[in-house]
Amino acid sequence: MATAPSSSKPQKISIRAEEWDRRLHEVQITKHDLNRLIMDYLVVEGYKAAAEEFSQEANLSPDVDLDSIESRMNIRDALHRGDIEDAIARVNDLNPEILDTNPALYFHLQQQRLIEYIREGRIAEALQFAQAELAPRGEESPEFLSELEKTMALLAFDVMPSAPPGISELLSHAQRMKTAGEVNAAILESLGQPKDVKLDGLLKLLEWGEKELSDRAEYPRLHL
Amino acid sequence: MGRVRQGVLIAGDGRDTVSLVLETSAMSRPARSASIPIPRNTVTSSSARNIESVISLPFGSSPFTPSPRSRGPQPIPIAQNRSAEEQRTSVRNVRGSSSVATSISPTRPAARSLTHSSPNLITRSSPRSSPFEPRVIRAESVRVATIDPACLSTSPSSSLPRTRRPSSTVTTPRVSSSHRNPSGITQTTPALQLPTFARPTYLEESALRHLLQTEAPPSISPHRKSAQSNQRSLSSSSDSDEEGSPPPRRRNPTSYASPDVLRLPTRWSETYRNDLLSISADGRDITFQGASCNGDKEAAAARTTRPIPPACGIYYYEVDIISKGNKGHISIGFGGKDVKLSRLPGWEPNSWGYHGDDGCSFAAEKTGSPFGPTYGTGDTIGCGIDFSANQAFFTKNGSFIGTVFKDVGKTMDLYPSIGLRHSGEAIRVNFGQDKFHFEIDFYVQQRRTQTWSDIMATKVSTSLLSSAGPSSVKIAATQEQTRGAINKLVLSYLAHHGYSKTARAFQKQSQRPSRDLDVDMDNGSDDALGMDGDMERRTQIVNSVIQGDIDTALADTRKHYPNVLTVDEGLMLFKLRCRKFIELLLETTELKKQMDVEMSSMKPPGGAIDDDEMGMDIDEDALPLVDVVINPPSETPRSSKDKLEAALNQAIHYGQSMLNDYSSDKRPEVQSLFKRTVGIVAFHDPIAHGGVAAEIARPEARNELANELNQAILRSQGRPPQPALETIFRHTAACVHQLGMIGVGAAAFADIQKEFLSDTPQ
Repeated sequence: MATAPSSSKPQKISIRAEEWDRRLHEVQITKHDLNRLIMDYLVVEGYKAAAEEFSQEANLSPDVDLDSIESRMNIRDALHRGDIEDAIARVNDLNPEILDTNPALYFHLQQQRLIEYIREGRIAEALQFAQAELAPRGEESPEFLSELEKTMALLAFDVMPSAPPGISELLSHAQRMKTAGEVNAAILESLGQPKDVKLDGLLKLLEWGEKELSDRAEYPRLHL
Repeated sequence: MGRVRQGVLIAGDGRDTVSLVLETSAMSRPARSASIPIPRNTVTSSSARNIESVISLPFGSSPFTPSPRSRGPQPIPIAQNRSAEEQRTSVRNVRGSSSVATSISPTRPAARSLTHSSPNLITRSSPRSSPFEPRVIRAESVRVATIDPACLSTSPSSSLPRTRRPSSTVTTPRVSSSHRNPSGITQTTPALQLPTFARPTYLEESALRHLLQTEAPPSISPHRKSAQSNQRSLSSSSDSDEEGSPPPRRRNPTSYASPDVLRLPTRWSETYRNDLLSISADGRDITFQGASCNGDKEAAAARTTRPIPPACGIYYYEVDIISKGNKGHISIGFGGKDVKLSRLPGWEPNSWGYHGDDGCSFAAEKTGSPFGPTYGTGDTIGCGIDFSANQAFFTKNGSFIGTVFKDVGKTMDLYPSIGLRHSGEAIRVNFGQDKFHFEIDFYVQQRRTQTWSDIMATKVSTSLLSSAGPSSVKIAATQEQTRGAINKLVLSYLAHHGYSKTARAFQKQSQRPSRDLDVDMDNGSDDALGMDGDMERRTQIVNSVIQGDIDTALADTRKHYPNVLTVDEGLMLFKLRCRKFIELLLETTELKKQMDVEMSSMKPPGGAIDDDEMGMDIDEDALPLVDVVINPPSETPRSSKDKLEAALNQAIHYGQSMLNDYSSDKRPEVQSLFKRTVGIVAFHDPIAHGGVAAEIARPEARNELANELNQAILRSQGRPPQPALETIFRHTAACVHQLGMIGVGAAAFADIQKEFLSDTPQ
């Protein structure tokens, strides 16, 4: 990330600690607001047991049926395990339209499946699966094709450490989480629920705000 | 708040202000001075002066304000023609309206206290009078306003526009309503017939909308037009008046305090205009008068009185071309504060414009770039400045032309501006007074959504939440790292507030995936979070307080966290004991109520004498502490009476022991809380009574105390008194707010309340 030299900027304003404290104090936020942010996180991320306890302890009713978390989490667990077939079956059980109406998601699930074949060294199956399922989709869109090529490149690198980072990361757990996150978001969307975790957004806004403000002002920085 | 602060200042200035003067002295004033502020040193009754100067605040920007020296030789017709009747009317209107001026007038609280006698209010405005002697205060309430004007600051400052919970003073709703509804000001100027206008709806997309305000147009009295021509020199000397309170950026770069209101442009400036242009009374029409400019260099320009607050995110205005004259050589655009007025916007440095004769856009250049269609008579041209993208856009007759210019609004305040060149050219501007031709609301919504998703594309860096503090080296955190950080925040939040079952369930589940996959989720150790049983102990104590069981809370705190009670010279212990005393008193209130019920059910009809006696016994106010031990009528059931007596004795005994323990503690905090606590003895039913008594006695006060105790316990363990999540939220909100105030347009579209706290997903 490019950081502009601060000397070229106009003079920074400076905000004294007392003034800043006053501003912090003026921010409108209640315990109830924060509780709801927590509940949002527990629900979206599928912490069902915690969400149930929290609705009791904080006397807060979640906006959604907590049972719907269960099926979402089973799907996520399957993806985290690498059991893509199970996950796809479960998604279709829940609502077949999710994958029908979302070709990119379906492609990424199939791609994940291919990755799992390669990870397990089932090369022949991987090839067959790629040719039968993924290649036709690759022709549909250049984006899919490039993803497919990247995935197939995994086969070329027998010894993993030599693979370029962009390719070897496909085998990481983060890739599984990424796919699982996509599926989770699609299911939430199909249920008409917000798919982004608000706490996630809060951290992004904090990152953005800290950067922008520190370019322009001297002020007391966040201290946890 | 600027107004509030000024109001306070005035209150402090006029120490002799008396509440009752408002009508009488204003009536006797020789001139109506809303448009003619009397200089400070004039020999006028100070109260009237105060009121008038407060009233004139919203109009303080008047460029036509004659300077003091002009008033002598030049009689002001309106003042003399106005009958006393009219003056009274206008004063009454001012009083009756919900204007900021009246609501912050120092006379207000006192006037109210005469009729309502809210002890709450009185205590706030005059801590010197004893709060637990309501009757006495009633008699003193006139003095209250005069004693200590500085005390008044407590009331306005507690009614900041951003404060969600309204303070309990009577004045608060007035202040906030007028902050949010600038059109309320209209009512204060019934004689002027010049409508102000509400904030345009597209500005609702700005997170700082509550600060953005239109203003009343300068009060223009009939004498203005005649005065106008020969007062050019005067008006140009009143620049500082006209500038009013522009955003403080670059004004004072070394120290920064946020302004409280951001004024929107509402009219063309009489000062910053070329002499060849004449401006209509309402400040919206510009007509080119006199000989057309010769050559290619000359022109006549004008700008608005106020700059555009970048906190708008996007600002938009439209210009109707009433007549394009012969050539339609008109430029619509914007520029800095001191751009030459003899040139078209776009020709000069720090100016930008879209020209009607050739459709070119100009950004500080002699030759423009082809941009849009030409325009002329009957066309409506819209000009938008997008501070989130630092560019501009134009519309014609409601259709979008395109975006144009770069780096707009980054380094200077911008003013809508206009340039004409030829005789007969005339335009009329719409700053939001009328409906816009272009669907600006929809456009701004889209831009807001886009800006928000751009911000949400920010990659969280690993250093963001590290204890080492922010670092200049930004490494994007992986999804797992972010997840881990959030889990930590959630868990520490749950532990902080003692949601122990949730915390355990969460901990169990969040650590599950990390087991098999060798990912360090780092949820923090049990010990660090106090999940080793400490959390339950703390929760139990807190719950004891919430239930009013102070004895148990005290005993448990003494057992597990003895430091909490001794730190700060036992301040926490004192607070808990105060609450204990209140609980004892509340118990007597309950018993008394019970007894009343029993009595009324047993008593034969016609017990008028008993009623009277009872009435005396429970008389709410000002009974000395001992007298509260009452003599109930003999037919009261024995058990109830005994219970009540015992409870009262216990309460009084407890109060006396506290008096012994704390009378020598001279800390103001201790003394004031003690007074307020003991003060509720005076009330038959403190909670029902309202005011300060209820505030201190009501069950919510238990929650506040419980929260305080929780924080004290956490602090005694070296933990933050506020959950990290709350700190983060406050810090983020403050950052974004600050950015919006210093001109980062994108921040205006980052509405933290709406995005994260609103009920409905966007």
